[in-house]
Amino acid sequence: MQTLTDNVLMMKVKSGDLDKLGLLYERHKKKLFGFFYNMGNNPSLSEDLVQNVFVRILKYRQSFTGEGPFTAWMFSMARNVHYDHHKKVSREGVSRNVSPEQVDRGTGDYLNEAMDLQGDAHLLRRALGLLSAEKKEILLLSKYRELKFQEIGEILGCSEGAAKVRVHRALKDLKTIFLQLETR
Amino acid sequence: MEEKFEIWTMDYLCGNLSEGEAKEFETFLKERMEYREKYDELLKAWELLHTMQTPEPSGKMDDAFFSMLSSEMEKEQGRVPKQSFTSILSVFFRPQWVIGSFLLLIGLGFGYFLRPDVETIPRQTIAANNETEEVRQKLVLTLLDQPSANQRLQGVSEANKFENADDIVIKALLKTLNSDPNVNVRLAAIESLTNYVDKPEVRQGLVQSIPNQESPILQITLANLMVALQEKASIEPFKQLLKQKQLDTTVKKRIERSIESII
Repeated sequence: MQTLTDNVLMMKVKSGDLDKLGLLYERHKKKLFGFFYNMGNNPSLSEDLVQNVFVRILKYRQSFTGEGPFTAWMFSMARNVHYDHHKKVSREGVSRNVSPEQVDRGTGDYLNEAMDLQGDAHLLRRALGLLSAEKKEILLLSKYRELKFQEIGEILGCSEGAAKVRVHRALKDLKTIFLQLETR
Repeated sequence: MEEKFEIWTMDYLCGNLSEGEAKEFETFLKERMEYREKYDELLKAWELLHTMQTPEPSGKMDDAFFSMLSSEMEKEQGRVPKQSFTSILSVFFRPQWVIGSFLLLIGLGFGYFLRPDVETIPRQTIAANNETEEVRQKLVLTLLDQPSANQRLQGVSEANKFENADDIVIKALLKTLNSDPNVNVRLAAIESLTNYVDKPEVRQGLVQSIPNQESPILQITLANLMVALQEKASIEPFKQLLKQKQLDTTVKKRIERSIESII
């Protein structure tokens, strides 16, 4: 059990003790990086987006009420950062990020595919890449056990039950795509 | 049913169910093979999702974050003294200002409602002025009757303070000018009377007093005054004065010049 909960730390950041953001960063950087990476961003862009999330957390720290868990608040910021970035990119008409899936797509005889251990992971990534952004997002959010369905619902703007149903269906779709890729 | 099952499965997978509820779900799966299969598929996908590996973020990300954080902290520190200064200001001054201005407003409000009628002020001052004029008049008259020349001088100087002397005071001053034994008192009376030369009785009184004056200094003062006033009525009294044998020669020349300049 962490002696200082995320919410306590964030409340300290809010009251001007910015130093505590470093602790929050250490606790959540991997999760956030994984979220952006698995959403289809390349590693260096994912790192930039993690940075953007923390810049936003600092900028909007006064809006943190401490009512919900910090992770839910953080992931809703992460979501906004992700969508804002892609909106900007599509507006500019330049695709600056190239996801690993996009790179691998069409290279059926990619070396890794031959190796059993890494094969599943690779297929899974490709399957995830083929899912819609909404489904990808809800699967990634549910992957982190800290977020309850109610909180996922809050992040996505739907009810708890709807969040469960969406995760369930996204999982089913993921499995279907995965099997299709496997049998190909 | 399908949706219920979907929710139920997710709760089971995430461990949101109590022990009893979990057992209930498990027996449900045993009884209903089609759901059992669905569940197994989903479990595989769930496990697959959790096997997903993500690469480690590079050290660059940490560097970028901590340099961003330290620059933000510097900015914040730069802001801190200002904030603390204003907070000190607000702590020390704000309540006082608020209370002070509140009391001031109350005071102004009370003052506004309790103010006396604008018209009463002049009325009262007029009344007060009248009263002091009366007192001063009495004082002047009393002082001019005193045997001491000093006190009579004081009386004349009091008479100078009238904004508009009435007839009684002017008569008293003229009487002093004509009959006071002291030259200085008479001189002071002339000075006092010059304030009212626009009154015909004053001019008349001054002219009539010319033959009565024996002191050269008074004669010269009156002559100068008459020249200044261009009082033609004074020529005759001056001519009478010139006939007096004991008249000082300087005064004589002075009066002659005065008569010339008046004519």
